[in-house]
Amino acid sequence: MNTMIIKQLILKDWYFLRVPIIGYLAAGAVSLVLICLGTDAGFFAGLVVLITVLIAVGIHLAMSTVVGERKDQTLPFVMSLPISYMEYTTAKILANLLIFLIPWSAILLAAVALFTIGNAGGVIPFTVLLVTELFASYTLLLAVSVVSESQSWSIGAMVFGNLFLQAYFYWITHNQSIMGTIKGHVAIWSSTAVAILVGEIALILLLIGLTFFFQARKTDFI
Amino acid sequence: MNGLAVQFTGVSKEYPHFTLDNVNLELPTGSIMGFIGANGAGKSTTLRILMGLVHQDRGAVEVLGYEMPARQAEAKRDVGFVSEDMRLYGAATLAWHMEFIRSIYPSWDQAYAESLLKRFDLKAKQKLKKVSHGQRVKSALLLVLARRPRLLVLDEPTTGLDPVARHEVLQALMEALADERRTILFSSQNTLDVEQISDQITFIDRGRIIDSADKETFLERWRRLRLDVPPAVALPALPGIVDTTSSGRLAVVTMNGYEPAVAAAYHDAGVTVQSVDSMTLEEIFVVNVQNRRERSVA
Repeated sequence: MNTMIIKQLILKDWYFLRVPIIGYLAAGAVSLVLICLGTDAGFFAGLVVLITVLIAVGIHLAMSTVVGERKDQTLPFVMSLPISYMEYTTAKILANLLIFLIPWSAILLAAVALFTIGNAGGVIPFTVLLVTELFASYTLLLAVSVVSESQSWSIGAMVFGNLFLQAYFYWITHNQSIMGTIKGHVAIWSSTAVAILVGEIALILLLIGLTFFFQARKTDFI
Repeated sequence: MNGLAVQFTGVSKEYPHFTLDNVNLELPTGSIMGFIGANGAGKSTTLRILMGLVHQDRGAVEVLGYEMPARQAEAKRDVGFVSEDMRLYGAATLAWHMEFIRSIYPSWDQAYAESLLKRFDLKAKQKLKKVSHGQRVKSALLLVLARRPRLLVLDEPTTGLDPVARHEVLQALMEALADERRTILFSSQNTLDVEQISDQITFIDRGRIIDSADKETFLERWRRLRLDVPPAVALPALPGIVDTTSSGRLAVVTMNGYEPAVAAAYHDAGVTVQSVDSMTLEEIFVVNVQNRRERSVA
């Protein structure tokens, strides 16, 4: 692996996305302020903004760095550099995950910190599960975008991810082992919550692995 | 290394509606090959295989001694590629692109890059989404020339350029050739461009290489003869005749492999050779393609 050029490609994607990411971070901060107002309306409004911000970051990243590279015909330029297609794939996956992790982890850490300080630790497992599901949805979109490089397939992955999120949200908010302790002062990780979290992380790793698996079998790259 | 910058041996690639068929191609180090073909002839597919961007189904490709596509990352360190469908990042300036390329290639020559900036009349601080097609092509060329690659692969770089920009691009390419170790493979539909800078010519049509030789041989080999054929005389069928058109006593014969003995053979048959004319590369290409297509239909 040519780590030098992978690093340059990651920095290149970061260069083009740094301004929007700052905007998403600001919107994420607004969502946390709303959640911390202490009212039901504030909580749900903040939750909606938070989910929207994370979905928007994911779509923005995948569409501009992966699908856009083909659509804007910059892929031949990148592929003319001294890299193999697997190195290109590695750079794309790493750039996307690292850039997504900036707002994702900032929002998650800020939420956990605020809930802990505000003596509302009971909501932490729910929050962690929800944002990890958003991470998994994003990984699905990223995997489909990298493998297909197609706007249509990527939109299909977005629609599927969104429908799955709605079903997941309904299911988790009706799950007593998670919602039963949400108003508590401390975070309580039930075995169900832990199992869901492990499943989400496994799904993220599986999607990344499948992306490399399919990329290794491609024969035409532009 | 065997003195060849590029070597294709029996290379094939199949698509649902197009097949690149058994391509054999050799490009000696230090030469400039013009790769001529109509739209959809297989030029871009061949060059993409050369770059490792498309994997061949069959056959072997070697670029600068590296087997492709397996060792494409190593080969591409010394290959500069510009294609008509290649775009740079519109949201960034040319200066950003220069810095990006400099960070990847230790061979980047900043002084040469700056001289190309002036010659191409480019503005480094301007975002590329705001520049013309000609300026985009010249920017892409600057980025490859300034890192001084051993092999330049140019896929229709002059397509869509105005005459001034085309002249500037061709001039820069000719100067790049001052380095005798540099090799250029240059595809185009424009035979004039190719004729101007190439020393080797290859014609491709419908996925097959139909002819390949050095330019002088090409131009020497092909002739158009104007003949006066008396009514009672039959035009002899000499080897190398590719096309014949007749109108009354006048016949025009296009020939591949002309030799002075041909004129003597016509004379012996009672035919008067009025003129033996050289042909342009474009005329040779068109006749060659038409002849192959007619033969494949028959």
